[in-house]
Amino acid sequence: MLKLKHWPLFLGIAAATTISCNKDDNDAVDTTALKSEILQNVATNVCTKSYEDLSDKAGQLLTAVTTLTTTTTDDNLATCRNLWKSIRETWERSEAWLFGPVEVDNIDPRIDTWPVDFNDLNTVLASPDELDEEYIESLDEDHDALRGFHPIEYLLWGQNGDKTASALTNREKEYLLALAQNLKKLADEVKTSWTGGYAASLATAGASGNTEFPTQRVAFEAIVDAMGGICDEVANAKMKDPFDAQDPQLEESPFAQNSIIDFTNNIRGIMDMYQGKFTEDGKGIEDLVRSYNLSLDNDIKTKHSTAVAALQAISVPFGEAIISQQSQVQAAMNKINDLASTIDEDLKQFVQQYGQ
Amino acid sequence: MRIPAIYRVCLALVTAIVLILVACNKFDAGYSNPDDEWRSGGKQTVFDQSSKAFGHPFPSLSETLERVHEIGDAQFSSTFVSAPAPVNPGLGPIFNNVGCASCHIGDGRGKVPGTGEISVLMLFRLSIAGEDPHGGPNPVPGYGDQLQNRGNIGVQKEGDVAISYNDKTFYFDDGTSYNLRFPTYTVINTYTAFPADVMLSPRVAAPVFGLGLLEALSDADILSRADEKDTDGDGISGKPNYVWNYTTNSTTLGRFGWKANQPNLLQQVAAAYNQDIGITTSVFPRESTLGQPQYDGRSDDPELIDSLLYSVEFYVKTLAVPGRRNATDAIVQQGKQLFMSAGCDKCHTPSMRTAVNVVFPDVSNQLIHPYTDLLLHDMGDSLADHRPDFLATGNEWRTAPLWGIGLTQKVNGHNNFLHDGRARSLMEAIMWHGGEALQSRNKVKAMSSTERNALIKFLESL
Repeated sequence: MLKLKHWPLFLGIAAATTISCNKDDNDAVDTTALKSEILQNVATNVCTKSYEDLSDKAGQLLTAVTTLTTTTTDDNLATCRNLWKSIRETWERSEAWLFGPVEVDNIDPRIDTWPVDFNDLNTVLASPDELDEEYIESLDEDHDALRGFHPIEYLLWGQNGDKTASALTNREKEYLLALAQNLKKLADEVKTSWTGGYAASLATAGASGNTEFPTQRVAFEAIVDAMGGICDEVANAKMKDPFDAQDPQLEESPFAQNSIIDFTNNIRGIMDMYQGKFTEDGKGIEDLVRSYNLSLDNDIKTKHSTAVAALQAISVPFGEAIISQQSQVQAAMNKINDLASTIDEDLKQFVQQYGQ
Repeated sequence: MRIPAIYRVCLALVTAIVLILVACNKFDAGYSNPDDEWRSGGKQTVFDQSSKAFGHPFPSLSETLERVHEIGDAQFSSTFVSAPAPVNPGLGPIFNNVGCASCHIGDGRGKVPGTGEISVLMLFRLSIAGEDPHGGPNPVPGYGDQLQNRGNIGVQKEGDVAISYNDKTFYFDDGTSYNLRFPTYTVINTYTAFPADVMLSPRVAAPVFGLGLLEALSDADILSRADEKDTDGDGISGKPNYVWNYTTNSTTLGRFGWKANQPNLLQQVAAAYNQDIGITTSVFPRESTLGQPQYDGRSDDPELIDSLLYSVEFYVKTLAVPGRRNATDAIVQQGKQLFMSAGCDKCHTPSMRTAVNVVFPDVSNQLIHPYTDLLLHDMGDSLADHRPDFLATGNEWRTAPLWGIGLTQKVNGHNNFLHDGRARSLMEAIMWHGGEALQSRNKVKAMSSTERNALIKFLESL
């Protein structure tokens, strides 16, 4: 017969058992609804939103370039440069989700080919051809090195980054306008392919008949791969190639000296995706991770902020930094690689386990 | 010679042990772990079914070698520009595309241009009657052996190809209809007189993963499946192509390309740089335009240094093979049985083992499932390009590997198959098979719709 004084102990054990059972029950909670919500938010408020923003900013750049061609002042040139940097920010952030139409429809090479083909560009400028958007379109995929962000950058800043408005020739203005028109067109093309179906197929991953994303897991894997992919691209190509070669000419955005900002925005895009927040906050993979593994969530956020801080510790333009701030550059690459391995290994395994 | 009884017993025992060992060894070679089927590339298999599925390095690479792979990756995705330039100079003067990854998007398959688009993910080989000094195709005067349809600004391209299709309807034995589109290729906008008797062979960019494993198969293993004169009478020949090897300066077994006209990856890569992009290397140090008016006359050759050339070779050598998705699914299993019973496996060899390689253990002794025998087969008149390539006749093509084929839609956003992308689905590709493959095609034609569906499900699981 159980004595009364033992009841508290008994109750304690019973309570503990119940609580642990309760925990088990929590683990078994069906997260399909949460995952759908995440994919819906990511498709609409992160990916699609970024391309809408890209298209808006391309429109603003086009307006400013149009003004510059008629009223060629240093102020108007400065406005164009600021808008270039602003649209560039959107694009670089969106490179953390470089899958889908941007890749399959070959948008990326048409919008962001590097390096610029100076010889061909000079030939074009010296030719008698009329330089309009139609001309650029007639180049088609022949000459991606003659269109997109980097030729615009080259024309706005000049080879040494010190161009003045008065140095812009009429032919350059003509070509700049055509490039801005073409950029707007391409931005609209990506936007339309996302709004016209791709966003819906990402949002409804796992629904029957969804061939692009037959399961939610496939969608999560694609997202995580893209997040890891951009780390790899930044640390092991964009930074490492010029660094290893000790050659500033290999820098991606040399004319505007925008490379470190580009890298930072690439890494920032990872957190946009993780938190499901491009402009407005919504559900992100974060919410799934936090329901199962707080330490992984903490790990990702710590490594991410460390990587961003390491990039910001580089205090001179990247082309100089590879010579004069080598330890900072190396540290930034290391921190980005640390983040990459957490994403590629831990987060990938996590979505493979819980993203079913 | 008389042998004492005791020795005879010993000899018999030894013989028996040797026989048992040999038998075990044989059994071992064919031994199949139930999980093997999932791992198409042996230990160099990756499980990723996203659009990046073809782009992973071998999982076994050491950190150092992975770095070489990355350098090759960066070079593979580089865009070339016209020379002189500080970065990636040497494009053209005439070319088909500006970099490797521009055709092999996602390390995958090219497609035919849509209406009104210029052909950028496929190219056209040219030749006239006769052979070059090495027994290869005879180049066309003024054009060489490939039509470069793009040029640097101000440089005349060689010409374009107009593509048109003629759709025809056919019927499976159960009365269901299917369509095949018959292509017509016409060379237009040529920069100078184009001989009337030029032979034209269209080629789309082929996927580039798993090639290191195919290179690691021994010649003897590949040749063991050859049956050029069809001595076993099964209607399937299997003919090795022997092609000129610019490294050894001799004729060796061909393995790569739609007609097995390249002996190894280095030459395949260097030839593509030379012909497709206009980049000279130590293997092919002459501009493709030498002797033509487009020639740049610059003394900057080779334009690509050896370390980068070798890194790109290493990159394609060490791209892993995507694993199967649902190999144990009942319908997929049924599809595999149908694939076998139709005799598809007679050329699309399911399993092979790479040779032992002590120099590069990552490709050594791997059981792989490429679904190719790397040999030439007569594929019938409808598919023929009527352009001989070394020993390959106009009707012969190399069996295409099928591993990873189910991920084409995912990686490349299309389902165009065969050497010129004329097939718009896996089933169309099957129904184009003729020649030696006609008997297999007819078996598929006679299948019920459930069976055809299972067969396709199997192919999609590869």
